[in-house]
Amino acid sequence: MKLLTKSTLLIATLSLFLFFIMGVIFFQVLKSISISDLNRELCDLKEVVEDYLEIYEGAQIEALTGIDSLSVEPVGRTVHTGEVFGDTLMQTMKDDQFRTYRYIQFITEKGERSYLVKIYKSTTPADKLVERVTLMMTLMVILFLAGIFILNRFIFANLWGDFFEAIEKLKQFETSKKPVILGEQDIQEFDEFKQVIEVMTRRLAEDYRELKEYTDHTTHELQTPLAVIKSKTELLIQSENLGAEEMKCLQAINTSVHQLSRLNSTLTLITRIENRQFTEKEEISLTGLLERHLDLLQEHIGLRKINVEKQYRDEGKVLFMDQGLADLLIANLLKNAIIHNIEGGTIVLETRPESLVIRNDGPPLGFSQEELFTRFVRDARRTGNFGLGLSLVKKVCENYGFKIEYSFDKQQHTFTVTLPD
Amino acid sequence: MQILIVEDEASLMESMVSYLELEGFRCEQASDYHTAVCVLDKHDYICMLIDLNLPGGDGMKLVKLARENQSESGIIIISARNTIEQRVEGLDAGADDYLVKPFHLSELVARVYSVARRTRMKGGEVLSFGVISILPEEHTCFVGQQQVDLTRKELDMLMFLMANRNRVVTKESIADYLWGEYGGGYGSYDFIYTHLKNLRRKLQDAGSPDYVQNIYGIGYKFSLDKSL
Repeated sequence: MKLLTKSTLLIATLSLFLFFIMGVIFFQVLKSISISDLNRELCDLKEVVEDYLEIYEGAQIEALTGIDSLSVEPVGRTVHTGEVFGDTLMQTMKDDQFRTYRYIQFITEKGERSYLVKIYKSTTPADKLVERVTLMMTLMVILFLAGIFILNRFIFANLWGDFFEAIEKLKQFETSKKPVILGEQDIQEFDEFKQVIEVMTRRLAEDYRELKEYTDHTTHELQTPLAVIKSKTELLIQSENLGAEEMKCLQAINTSVHQLSRLNSTLTLITRIENRQFTEKEEISLTGLLERHLDLLQEHIGLRKINVEKQYRDEGKVLFMDQGLADLLIANLLKNAIIHNIEGGTIVLETRPESLVIRNDGPPLGFSQEELFTRFVRDARRTGNFGLGLSLVKKVCENYGFKIEYSFDKQQHTFTVTLPD
Repeated sequence: MQILIVEDEASLMESMVSYLELEGFRCEQASDYHTAVCVLDKHDYICMLIDLNLPGGDGMKLVKLARENQSESGIIIISARNTIEQRVEGLDAGADDYLVKPFHLSELVARVYSVARRTRMKGGEVLSFGVISILPEEHTCFVGQQQVDLTRKELDMLMFLMANRNRVVTKESIADYLWGEYGGGYGSYDFIYTHLKNLRRKLQDAGSPDYVQNIYGIGYKFSLDKSL
């Protein structure tokens, strides 16, 4: 969820909840105020009525202003009960509708006789007032919420702008590897945030550069002593006084030096791909690429009597990538399909509009499928390889956003490379 | 047959010199940029081997300078840097070939011959060994007067063996020279044996003696006298 949505939602829920409680309290208070007002009015009327009763007979009292209805009943001598307030529904004379009335009931004495007096007063005006005020309140709340919503957006864009800028710049860090430097701002927290980011990315960039240099230098420096060992062994081999045993030793040295130098150059290559040092892009025909590599590998394919089945569904498929990396990708996939094949096995090459599928016969993996693309993971049954080929393939795929998947079914390994256009 | 070698690593220089001198080349040595500049005009070199990482100057500049001075010489860059950009830059500067360290001495010799042929002899000469003769330009091979039908790989292999005559060449070096990056890492070098077997059979069928010797499984030796 976006920060803006989240904060707006939070404000909306919280304020709705608050307004609801406030509304209920407000309504209750208003209601009780209006009731106590009515009660006071009724008390006033009671005094007026008592004064009148002193002078007039009950029948004339009803003409008094401010009284909606009045009833005076003579009662027997009873205990004085004081005044009682209550609510009741009564039919009005005007439109025969039932409306709520508040009344006061009391007993007054005139001479020897006691009267039960009830004074009614309509609550409609007060109710109406409460209703209006509540309605106004609700309207205000809605307006307030809308205001908050707009204000929030505005404040958000203003306050958090720097934050979003920082995120954008951080995203670019992945490719540029340059320290992220953000301008000064007057918000203290963001300033701290920016400083932290700057320090952090500066260190990262520095580490990255050092590591790159280190790898660069080591691999380069390693090649020279390797070249010396290699040349010296070769000179030694020429010696005429060597027997079979010595030759065996020399061959072992020779093979190891060869492996070491291959390992070294492969690791350099991986580092260079990771550093995104391959930026050239050109159009490369996938089928052309496959055919060229099959031709280069025909010795290895022929030697193991491997049958290559071509299913080119999309002859015109074009890759848009660095030529060297394209070669690397295909060479390593094919190499993998050859060396892990069985004698007389099959390789199926299938090009589809959106993917390349390479299938080869072979025994199941000697390790877990998750490790397949990790460095130095290899089949223990085979020697002479480092388990770097598929990790190279993976790196190339990552470099171009290709997806590579592996599956094993019916003694067949399948690699699917999804190639977006 | 003068060769100029510019290389700052003394051991490697020594190896190259002794291997090339056995081959009959005379070597002029320079271990830094300035010495190299001084000896650049000393001889009419058949080939110049130039390292790119040199004390005192940039090897690439030396390549350009060498190209200006001796347009007839072959130039081979020997460098540990193995990027396409570097190769392209080197070839653009005027080099004829680019050999990545660590390399096989046998491969170096083969390349020196190949570059020398291209620049000096304009490919017009005949390579011969015993009864075998090769016209590199026409890609044809003869045993005596009889033409032998060889594939491109077989011919290259024969030329590689001839360049390294009387030497033990390892299987790795043959694989690297002929197949480059596609040679190694496939579990075995048996494919070289297969190619060599075909080559020997074709040559013997045409009446040539078998000049190839198997040396303790490490490699092969191509010589007139098999007892050597």
